[in-house]
Amino acid sequence: MGKAWDSVAFIPYAEDNLDYLPGTQASFTENSMSKERSHKATKVLERLSKKLNRQVVGSLVACVHCGMCTDSCHYVQTNPDDPTYAPAYKADRLRKIFKKHHDWTGRVIPWWVGAKSVWTDEDLEELKDIAFGKCTNCRRCSINCPMGVDFATFNRMTRGLLVSVGVMPEGVSVVSKDQWEIGNQMGVLKEDYVDTLEWMAEELQGELEDDSDMIPIDKMDAEVVYSINPREAKYDPRTIADAAKIFHFAGENWTMPSEGWDMTNFGLFSGDDDLGGAVAKRLFDKVIELRGKKLVISECGHGYRSTRCEGPNWAGMDIPFEMESSVDTMLRYVKEGRIKVDKSRNKTPVTFHDSCNNARSCGLFEEPRELLNLVCENFTEMYPNRAENYCCTGGGGAMSMSEYTPRRLKSGKVKADQLKATKTEIVVTSCHNCVDGLNDVIRHYKLGMEVTQLVNLVANALVIPAKIIPVSIPDEVLVLAGKKILVVDDEPDILTFFSTVFEDNGATVFTATDGDEAIKLAMAEKPDLVTLDISMPGKDGGKVFEELRTNAETSTVKVCIITGRPELRKLIYDRKVQPPEGYLDKPVDEDTLMLNVRKVLELA
Amino acid sequence: MAIFEWNDVKIDVDEDGFMEDPAQWDEKVALALASTEGVAELDENHWKMITYLRDYYAKFGIAPMIRKLCKETGFSLKQVYDMFPSGPAKGACKVAGLAKPTGCV
Repeated sequence: MGKAWDSVAFIPYAEDNLDYLPGTQASFTENSMSKERSHKATKVLERLSKKLNRQVVGSLVACVHCGMCTDSCHYVQTNPDDPTYAPAYKADRLRKIFKKHHDWTGRVIPWWVGAKSVWTDEDLEELKDIAFGKCTNCRRCSINCPMGVDFATFNRMTRGLLVSVGVMPEGVSVVSKDQWEIGNQMGVLKEDYVDTLEWMAEELQGELEDDSDMIPIDKMDAEVVYSINPREAKYDPRTIADAAKIFHFAGENWTMPSEGWDMTNFGLFSGDDDLGGAVAKRLFDKVIELRGKKLVISECGHGYRSTRCEGPNWAGMDIPFEMESSVDTMLRYVKEGRIKVDKSRNKTPVTFHDSCNNARSCGLFEEPRELLNLVCENFTEMYPNRAENYCCTGGGGAMSMSEYTPRRLKSGKVKADQLKATKTEIVVTSCHNCVDGLNDVIRHYKLGMEVTQLVNLVANALVIPAKIIPVSIPDEVLVLAGKKILVVDDEPDILTFFSTVFEDNGATVFTATDGDEAIKLAMAEKPDLVTLDISMPGKDGGKVFEELRTNAETSTVKVCIITGRPELRKLIYDRKVQPPEGYLDKPVDEDTLMLNVRKVLELA
Repeated sequence: MAIFEWNDVKIDVDEDGFMEDPAQWDEKVALALASTEGVAELDENHWKMITYLRDYYAKFGIAPMIRKLCKETGFSLKQVYDMFPSGPAKGACKVAGLAKPTGCV
């Protein structure tokens, strides 16, 4: 592997007792705790050696305890007298184990670097309290570290070590189990999910008085495969309906998969890379099966990060399709004019909360703001913002760990102050976790604000195009009305193009892709005109032409040869039959085509 | 675990204010919990929904999908949100004495 820290031999656990210099206080404390290491603690240490990588080791050795991270953490700011919330302190809980077993400083000067192992299950519980209960993995300290220590990354790893031996908050365990076993984090069954989509589709059909398929399920070869957070299906499918409305009016060729639709990933929160990989793979496999061109991820911060940024690594897959946040998709639709929006429909002052995973971890800063300014009249920034924004308090899966809710709400003071200073009434965010975290903060601090997502605002601002009422145009306007035309060509694109042009002008069109089919149709339908390609597999156009001319039943049918190979003209004109009424070279545009067809039908 | 008190109601709740022991639930408790969810009064429709949620939870041990809730009670999505502004997961389930729904809620 050639990793930098490989040069330092792993210090076996058995030597622990000999590690400190005899007679030092540290040695005394360490040895007196327990003679025997618990099974779980042993497993955690074994797994730690396997999980160390360059990024983690870099962060473990680089910290100089300068204290820059301290003020960056919303937990510290709301608990100024409690040093156990400081990122460097929290980081040292894992760092001391690393030093003890993997770093030379722990062997040479253990008392200096505070090297200390884990022995008992209680030690692991303490670690759990820090890793799950005192950090939301929001990474604000990481970007404020001059040494580039990514504490959140190894805090996630610490969580993973604990999860591997079953030490985790109950909420994390329940949700992970559902994601492993049922395939989504809320245990939504396939039939209930599909039923919910159909329900939303029907509601939309009713609202828009339009019978189109509003939510196509498992459609093959779609441009967009849309994945969601299970809470949308289970508790609040209004966001599904809003998204469907936007896709519908954008004229998108889109679909929602019947399985592998959960883009959330508890692997990110629990630190379990295996779960992370399994969940991401389900999603990726389904898009591949449907031959989708692009996977669009609905507004969910950790879902976006897990699926687009981390998922391919966890799953060990090369992804043959594009992935994007629905924020990008909606912005594109507005900018390309595929949907029209009227920002005056969203008049209430709004502010925007950057999700840590979207913004800090994945760089999605400007797109939501650009979109917000297109669909809202009155947008005010919250300070600090973008990469420096504070956590909603619900990050890192905190919403599913009720035991830490009081701490979470206390830490929410920072967010509450930020929100209050904007003097707005609505906070917009592109993350479901943030929606819930912010709602809790708003309620706890009695801010009276509303939380919403961009999809709701875009749907609300959507200008529904006036219904196209079919108008009956008088017959004389349609120049080909009552005419039957047989289009013969082996290229499907040409068939579609010609048919559309002729049908738009009132003709009844039949199509054939080879010579035999052409002759059969000509006999059966007696068309007024045959447009005939020359070069086709099987019986070529020349032979078809001659057969048409020599057969008494079809000899008077007018023929217009349309070929991309004018050098084959000889094949037609050399035949001892009456020459064709018209002749055209491909490519041909609509006007030339119509001009020639009319000439043949009306003059020849 | 915490204790929630409102008038003469006193129950055990988790840190998010959901009931720890569903057996402690009665109509007075529902009223007490409703006060924390911005619902001042419980009318006939609220009770219809609460009854349905409790029945479902007793049978399956989880909260129903919103689709099931609307289908079985006949309420529209909008009515559900009008009745319980904090939504079916946090609002209605809490008042009905269910445990906190799992996952990102």
